[in-house]
Amino acid sequence: MNGLTPLDGGIIGVYLLATMVIGIAIRKYVGRVEDFLVARREMDVYLGIASLAATEFGIVSCMYTAQNGFDKGFAGAVPGLLTFAAMFLVGWTGFCIKPLRDSGVMTIPELFEKKFGPRVRWAAGVVIVLGGLLNMGVFLRVGGDFLIHACGMDPGGHKLEVMMTSLLVGVAVYTILGGMLSVLVTDFLQFIMMSAGLIVVTFLILNKIGWSTLVSTVETYHGAGGFNPFKNPSIGWSYVIFNALLNTAAVLTWQTQIARVLSAKDSGTGRKVYTRTSFFFVARFLIPGIWGIAALAVIGWVPLKTLSSDQLATIPPALQQKVAASKMSKVFAATDQDYAKLSPDDQARTLSPDETATIQPEVVARLKEASLHHMPLFLSMFVPAGLMGLLIAAMLAADMSTDSSYMLTWGGVIYNDILAPFRKKKWSDKKGLLWNRAIVALIGVFLLIYGLWYKLEGDLWTYLGITGTIYLSSMSTLLIACCYWKRANNWGATAAIICGALVPISTLILQTRGPWTQWVTDHNTTCGIAAYVLVALAMVIGSLLKPQPQAAAEGVKA
Amino acid sequence: MTTIIHGIATMLREHWFWGALTLICLTWYSTITIYVAIRGFGDIRSMLRRLSNSKDTP
Repeated sequence: MNGLTPLDGGIIGVYLLATMVIGIAIRKYVGRVEDFLVARREMDVYLGIASLAATEFGIVSCMYTAQNGFDKGFAGAVPGLLTFAAMFLVGWTGFCIKPLRDSGVMTIPELFEKKFGPRVRWAAGVVIVLGGLLNMGVFLRVGGDFLIHACGMDPGGHKLEVMMTSLLVGVAVYTILGGMLSVLVTDFLQFIMMSAGLIVVTFLILNKIGWSTLVSTVETYHGAGGFNPFKNPSIGWSYVIFNALLNTAAVLTWQTQIARVLSAKDSGTGRKVYTRTSFFFVARFLIPGIWGIAALAVIGWVPLKTLSSDQLATIPPALQQKVAASKMSKVFAATDQDYAKLSPDDQARTLSPDETATIQPEVVARLKEASLHHMPLFLSMFVPAGLMGLLIAAMLAADMSTDSSYMLTWGGVIYNDILAPFRKKKWSDKKGLLWNRAIVALIGVFLLIYGLWYKLEGDLWTYLGITGTIYLSSMSTLLIACCYWKRANNWGATAAIICGALVPISTLILQTRGPWTQWVTDHNTTCGIAAYVLVALAMVIGSLLKPQPQAAAEGVKA
Repeated sequence: MTTIIHGIATMLREHWFWGALTLICLTWYSTITIYVAIRGFGDIRSMLRRLSNSKDTP
């Protein structure tokens, strides 16, 4: 472990101080709710590019895209190519984002009210907030994991919680005071710091490890599937189609992305921000993916090294040997039948369900996600002193920009849409600002409890997948119908929201009970595609079933 | 210089699609970072100036 030198500490300290000072100084420009939520729509193209890129790259993104590189090779960067295509096309054509920005609304549900009524606006607000905040709940812990490993600290004790609480409090202070204006200006600083770190470390990897080594590592571990997604058993056509739908829906409706369009000076500026930032999403997947591949090349599969000394001590030595000898990401056999099917050689390096039961559930969960922690472990050994400060500052920048934007934009939906029924009379700007600031503070408290200090039981990622699919499938369908289908109405919108919730929840139930358990688990991306198709059908059928007003019907006949 | 050219040639020879994509990505990202740093700073200045002016206007 290289650890941190005083020089590294100095770089990190100067960066954090500069961000806080600038973020807080901007508060004097905030006088209205519109300043706080959408920066009085004064955002221009280049500030928008910096802000969108900084927000969409956090430590979580870095960890999971690096894990994709580690587990799937170069083919793991396919979602980045799909997001690039989706964002470029949406920006170029203005699909949905032009009518959305031209309408002058502050949030997507506000637009829905014009077409579908106040109840759909409220329901959409709830779906958006649930999906967004539950997703954001994992940011702090995963970000803390990265920092702990990259700094070469032992993950034991409460270091992670204390470090991430301090970081979140700092971010919350400038977000609460300066709103979107502070977020935009600090995002700019964070974009520069983050980009410098990403570019320098990637050049260092290519220079020291070399392209040939990266390519041969992918060939050794993943074969042709490491380069071609359609030859990779964990990717394939359904994964690509599902990710195309998911990323298009995210480009159209994910609150942090769409907030940049709504803060832009006009729809033309919003479209330029999208087209010119789109290629960043290739970098967002490919650069950490290369870091993940480099981790595989240099340290290989070392699951035990991702545990703290306390966690390691709880595993009996004989089982430790099996885990150390395990195949990549195949430490455990899911069932006794699966274990019995293995060859004697593979049984000697796979834990049976009985053996797994002797290990603490927390340690088992940690080993199941071991591939996630190889990249920061590798960086802690590879990045030299001096550059480590830049890397940590870059990752802090990435995380802070994401946290601030998430807190603000989802807080905006709570204020603008969920609290809308309580604002029968127009609130003064002073009262509105107070509420907005209180909501951002409460989101911060929620994140600390849900995401950091309280340990979630059960399969967290299943819940996140479900809430994400409920949000993206239904909101994207509603937005498209709202902008381009005259016949769309509140029946269709309600049916789409209900269907968007039912399909993922049914998938969850079918994964755990009934005769189709294995099929549903193996075809989860197919189920994801089905969710989008069924939600679209629900919108169409629901809208067509509602009787048209007499005048409109006669107009159609004429 | 020779090392850099050799490195680029290797990237384009071995799995050219991912090699070329990585090269384009790093070149684009390095360029856009510098460009956005300069132009974005100008955007912030003019945004804050406009906000100050509109605040002063009764």
